[in-house]
Amino acid sequence: MNNVKILMMLPKRSAFVVLFILSFVLPLTLSQKMFASEAPAQVAQEGAVSGVELPQFEGGQMSGSEQSPEGQPAASVGTETAVAAEEEEVGPVQYRTFFGIDSRLVVWIVSELHLMFAAFVLGVPIFAVIVEIVGFKGGDIKYDKMAKEFTKLLSAAFATTASLGGLLGFCLFGLYPEFMGHMTNVFAPTMYVYALMFFGEAFTLYGYYYSWDILKGTAAKKWFHISLGVMLNLFGTGLMFLTNSWATYMMSPAGIVPATGKVLSLYHAMYNPLWMPVNIHRLIANVCFGGFVVGAYAAVKFLGAKTEEEKAHYDWMGYVGNFIGVGALIPLPFAGYWLGREVYSSSPVMGNIMMGGAFSWTFIIQAILIGMLFIGVNYYLWLGMGRIKGSERYTKFIKYLIFVIFLCFAVWLTPHNLPLSGEERAMIGEQYHPFSKYFGVMAAKNAVVNLIILATFFSFLIYRRSNKGEMVPFSEQGRAGKIGIFSALIFCLLMLVSYAVSLNFVELEANIKVFVNPLIRALYIQSFVVCLAAFLTFKNKGKLGQTLLFAVTACIAVLYFWYYGFQVMQKANLVLRYLSVTQVSIVMSCLIMNAIIDVFMFRKAKLVGGIVWGKMPVRSQYALLLLCIVIVILMGLMGFIRSGLRMDWHIYGVLQDTSQWAYTPTLSYMGRVVGLIVVLFLGLVTFVFWLANLGEKKEKAKAKDYNYDEAAADYENTH
Amino acid sequence: MANKRNTFLLIWVLTAVGCLFVFLKYASPKIFQVLMAKDHPMPTPSTLMMWYMIMGVLAGLVYATTSNQKFADLLSFLLPGSGPIIKSFLQKMLFVGFPVLVGWFVYTWSIPGAASPVELRIQHPTLPQEFEKLENPFRQKDEETQRKSIEEGKILFQTYCRPCHGSKADGNGPFANSFRLRPINFQDPGTIATVVDNYLFWRIKEGGPGLPSESTPWDSAMPSWKDDLKDDEIWMIIMGEYDTAGVMPRQREKLE
Repeated sequence: MNNVKILMMLPKRSAFVVLFILSFVLPLTLSQKMFASEAPAQVAQEGAVSGVELPQFEGGQMSGSEQSPEGQPAASVGTETAVAAEEEEVGPVQYRTFFGIDSRLVVWIVSELHLMFAAFVLGVPIFAVIVEIVGFKGGDIKYDKMAKEFTKLLSAAFATTASLGGLLGFCLFGLYPEFMGHMTNVFAPTMYVYALMFFGEAFTLYGYYYSWDILKGTAAKKWFHISLGVMLNLFGTGLMFLTNSWATYMMSPAGIVPATGKVLSLYHAMYNPLWMPVNIHRLIANVCFGGFVVGAYAAVKFLGAKTEEEKAHYDWMGYVGNFIGVGALIPLPFAGYWLGREVYSSSPVMGNIMMGGAFSWTFIIQAILIGMLFIGVNYYLWLGMGRIKGSERYTKFIKYLIFVIFLCFAVWLTPHNLPLSGEERAMIGEQYHPFSKYFGVMAAKNAVVNLIILATFFSFLIYRRSNKGEMVPFSEQGRAGKIGIFSALIFCLLMLVSYAVSLNFVELEANIKVFVNPLIRALYIQSFVVCLAAFLTFKNKGKLGQTLLFAVTACIAVLYFWYYGFQVMQKANLVLRYLSVTQVSIVMSCLIMNAIIDVFMFRKAKLVGGIVWGKMPVRSQYALLLLCIVIVILMGLMGFIRSGLRMDWHIYGVLQDTSQWAYTPTLSYMGRVVGLIVVLFLGLVTFVFWLANLGEKKEKAKAKDYNYDEAAADYENTH
Repeated sequence: MANKRNTFLLIWVLTAVGCLFVFLKYASPKIFQVLMAKDHPMPTPSTLMMWYMIMGVLAGLVYATTSNQKFADLLSFLLPGSGPIIKSFLQKMLFVGFPVLVGWFVYTWSIPGAASPVELRIQHPTLPQEFEKLENPFRQKDEETQRKSIEEGKILFQTYCRPCHGSKADGNGPFANSFRLRPINFQDPGTIATVVDNYLFWRIKEGGPGLPSESTPWDSAMPSWKDDLKDDEIWMIIMGEYDTAGVMPRQREKLE
């Protein structure tokens, strides 16, 4: 009966979503028609005067005489005659203001809020479906319940995301008509696809959530439900990829004639140089973001839990949220580094602005935030060991891990250019203090971030071992163990050796190519050590194999490449790209091989005690809250950097921003705006989750009544 | 019952933080003096000192709160109770020493002084768009022409740049000591090796006066050479400069 009611509610909610979509799509298509009809007339008019065909997107710009040398509107504009003003009113508008408020600020806040909600809505389904599959395959209803709870949050946040998306569309078309005219001119076909995919996203999301209880009971039904979840992810990812193409086109435009704005290839405009790096970076970051937001939700529920059962549930949920967050956090620096390199490749100027120029200090803030994330996740894991009997055997490692992680953090945030007073400069006697000289460059940063990742992975290993006692010899693990280790070995070898072989064929000048040889050797050494670790595992010496793998990885990827990075920087910067990929491959092979060895080594091991879910100190929950706040700030900051790198261009090198807000904000102004966005997002998300729980309370009350009725009926039947 | 060592956890943490302070303030300047063969110590900049100390305190707090037992041990030191005489003595020291330390910080920060302000410098000013697409004409030429341009560039470098940047491009020219901010050591891999040729072309041509308006105030004594040197001469200087410093310019990468 309840299911029927739920199904009845579906069309109502869908109608609500459809209205939102239509409200977004209609103005979009209408304005496109408007631009399409206005542009040729306008070009013809101006072309007749100057005798030169003007680019379409410049049609709305003021003429040179109306602009100041800096591109600002001249003061005399306001003193024109009434006739001129009337003419100006009917002509195309370049910029509008939002009730006198700074238009850029309005778009900044709305787009960032939309992105944050969208990140949550896109990230959570990825792991909700995985958790559901884990629960289904393992036969543990606990996972299924948690996946449903994740999805409940998702459906609550989805409508807010759509509302903010609509608002963002209105703001962009209303406040930046000329810019949106250009974007529509290039991307109109993809906008229809976007709208259609939004339908798919809405239908699969609500279908996935509301059919949860209907589609269970048989394996076929459950698989159908899971496939709905997979479809939801496909639609979500597709939507993100589409919007990313618009955003990255603004940074690295392609597929058009820059001088005229004529579209040559929509494919190249979409698949512009930064499209795929941003796609991958955002995909991973969304999962990380979703994990930490869910962790914070669980922390709040844990802190307000009335019963031990509730506490245990939300403690476990917080652990899973943190696990997902840290799982995605580990590859994130690699994806970020790739994106950074592609920014340099697409425009060395933009690259310099980013890492060494006006935005370099925002990267110091980023370093602090990322450091806090790593410390937070490790701290939570260490506190979590307190609820596991048997963890005392491993707590001795914590102090060393703290030392390593904080040391890496110190190097990670040391800037190349230090803020110095004149007296300090005089005392140091040269441009760079040794700390900034050796810690401030990318070679050092890459080395320490890899060490932080290795240390975090080590924390996780000792956490999962805490509950495990005496091991079963590997020879008794059966075929599964052998196949598992062998598969991991093949995968790692393929990754390492194939890359080593490909490095032999890179096209570089001979004097630069010699710098590639040490990388090839490092990859072969790592391949040998991976084989050795697998061999030792087969010989029941897995722990020795793991230790060896950790040690060699740290020596090559951290110590040696730290030193070698400096050499390459001086003589052959083109090799840096290959060095970083080598570094990542070596670290990833260590993580994969060690994880698989650990899984099979401790399979069937005797349990020392048990995990007492719910037995967590309160400060661990504040650590989860801190992680959520930090990741939200980080996303706000990185959004500012990505968008701000275009400086005074709407579309870099193609369409200039001539509005009065075409300047890079100061750090303090940026800090205040990002702070405001963070507060707004956290406030909104709290409100939305509170609303979602209102429904839950109602359903619980109904379930209580229902159970009472059922019990009463049973009682009557029995008697 | 916590053992004796754990009862003094707070003292251990404070000692570790104190050791970090001593290392940064006194040991590291001397160590760098020896390692870098300088005739003067290399004091740790105040900004770094503050950041590292904050991290040291944070690391101590993280360590002391990783388990309920440790946290209880940390706090137990502050509570009155039985214990060895040394504990009572250290407690009194702490209760007196901590406010004195805070007072000392407040005093040193608020006392009027004549120190110059700390500047938030950035590494690379933004290269104007019109310089982005330029190419060094000599890099594309045959080996013989490149060699000649390097030789000529070296002569030009020694003529125009040596007084400040030094004959080895190490920032130790005869006039170097007269600047508040010494000329850059180009041999350092973090300087000209990280930028493309045309970046140097812009910096030489426009100099300090041509620096962009954002991120001001700049602190550059670099003159503008556009009225004294032709473009080709500037490109040759760049060729000679990289060769003198023994580093290579950043090269444009192909997009993957």
